[in-house]
Amino acid sequence: MIPGKILRFLETRANIATSATRDRELVPHGHRVVGWRVGPDQETLTCLIPALFTDHLLADLEDNGHFAVTIEEIPTHETYQFKGRYLRHRKAAGEDMVANARMRERFVTGLQVLHAGAPAAILAAFILEPAIALDIQVSEIYLQTPGPGAGTLLAPVAEAGRA
Amino acid sequence: MSAMQTNQLPDAIRPVLGNGVPCTIATCSSDGIPNATIISQVYWVDPTHVALSFQFFNKTIRNVRENPRASVTVNDLAGGAHWVLDLQFERSESEGPVFDVMDMNIEAIASATGMSGIFKLRAADIYRVLSVRRLDFSTSA
Repeated sequence: MIPGKILRFLETRANIATSATRDRELVPHGHRVVGWRVGPDQETLTCLIPALFTDHLLADLEDNGHFAVTIEEIPTHETYQFKGRYLRHRKAAGEDMVANARMRERFVTGLQVLHAGAPAAILAAFILEPAIALDIQVSEIYLQTPGPGAGTLLAPVAEAGRA
Repeated sequence: MSAMQTNQLPDAIRPVLGNGVPCTIATCSSDGIPNATIISQVYWVDPTHVALSFQFFNKTIRNVRENPRASVTVNDLAGGAHWVLDLQFERSESEGPVFDVMDMNIEAIASATGMSGIFKLRAADIYRVLSVRRLDFSTSA
């Protein structure tokens, strides 16, 4: 299970995210993430991907299943990276759009702390609408907050849940 | 969905590289595990090269030394677009003009984001640009 502290971070504070896949030749591809939801099992993370960043996405996932997503809170820079396996995908809809709107609101608020006076409409437009919802089975979580501790393995998800 | 694609950095990307908006980088280890990281800035070196900062020996740094391919996205909020750069790591420089400029900029970014004293540039990692494409927000539907 995703530990409670990180679950609360995901559900109440985090406001920017990016993800990575790779193809058969180990060429990496980046994909913006415009929202997320944690499943009831607290091991499945649904990541929302906008249409602009779907090139290579499903081909990579269907080839090898590896997925990494890094989620941060601005302005604190508290950041975690989740690694795991692709389970399934579907067209984003319903609750995905609610999660997307929640992220957009948090992003605007967070950015305006760093850049006072930045127009909310421009910041809000940066969080695109999602096209695809990916379900990922999270297996590892890493601390990614900038600094010498970045990259520290916090725990395999199954062990973290038992701790 | 790509408005344009080239293997040289266009002049239009230069102000975007320096706009202070966080960028992202995707890399992959030699055993096939992808990695996604948010980075503070991408530096213009010349029309076919960019530089990224090497501050800590983190997973991104390890990955590009095992597998030199990387994909970087820089963000132009005011212009309503992303730029996606496919890159190949070439070399690391720990002195010289590129290093000096990056060292000054990193301290300025750290100070502006409340992270002063945490960042120390160890090297400027130089990447060759394999391709560049601009993705307009307006084409995402």
